[in-house]
Amino acid sequence: MNAYPLAAISFLLFALAAAGFLTCGNLVRMLMFLELMLNAANIAMVALGPQPASQAYALMLFAVAAAEAGVGLALIIALASTFRTLEAENIKELKG
Amino acid sequence: MLTAAVYLLGAGAALATLLMLFQRNPVKAAMLMLAALLCTAGIYLALSAQLLAALQVIVYAGAIMTLFIVAVTVTPQAWRDRPAPGRISRVLGLAAAAVILIELMKVSAGLKLVALGAGFTETGTLGIAKQLFGRFIFQFELLGLVLLASIVAAAALALKRRTNP
Repeated sequence: MNAYPLAAISFLLFALAAAGFLTCGNLVRMLMFLELMLNAANIAMVALGPQPASQAYALMLFAVAAAEAGVGLALIIALASTFRTLEAENIKELKG
Repeated sequence: MLTAAVYLLGAGAALATLLMLFQRNPVKAAMLMLAALLCTAGIYLALSAQLLAALQVIVYAGAIMTLFIVAVTVTPQAWRDRPAPGRISRVLGLAAAAVILIELMKVSAGLKLVALGAGFTETGTLGIAKQLFGRFIFQFELLGLVLLASIVAAAALALKRRTNP
């Protein structure tokens, strides 16, 4: 198998997720696309890296993704209860 | 056979992500994300990363998706119908993503000459564990701190919300 198509698949997934992240304004949806971007980077690492080492690193990235989702969603829920909105455009102050 | 599986699953993941872009219902968007994550698990399996495929289903498709569904359910704001974002910002976002894709493809053109090992092999957990507890021990231990910090942060945010609504 050639390495280029595998890289192209992960780049395509990354670009699609980036498009979603940049175009939608809903915070939960933005976090979903962020996770998909991380997922695409993971695919590139597993496909193109040296085998046991890249898989070990991908495993660590899983933990980072889980931590990111946990903190991100806690923040989003806190923001939603404070501002009564999930649209990034409507959240304009950061003072707690 | 394996190559065809990788292409098919990659196309499935890309299609699910594309449909997510146009899906307005948050739960349906989460289900499409689940499809993309499961396709990714299939890609891992075809790339001989069996442990990662299992962990992808457990961690991403299980734990993280549950978190998203819970977040969507407890925030009624996510359901509220809202006007579509401005046309200019949408076009700019899509253009930026297209530029990212084109540049990535251009930069990685050298990979066309690289051939990967063909065929399905078994990657044992012993090899991964040796890497985690040998070469990457510092990163791995640091990751424990990251997880601890994220748990404390999430708990602190939730407690603050409960005491000070």
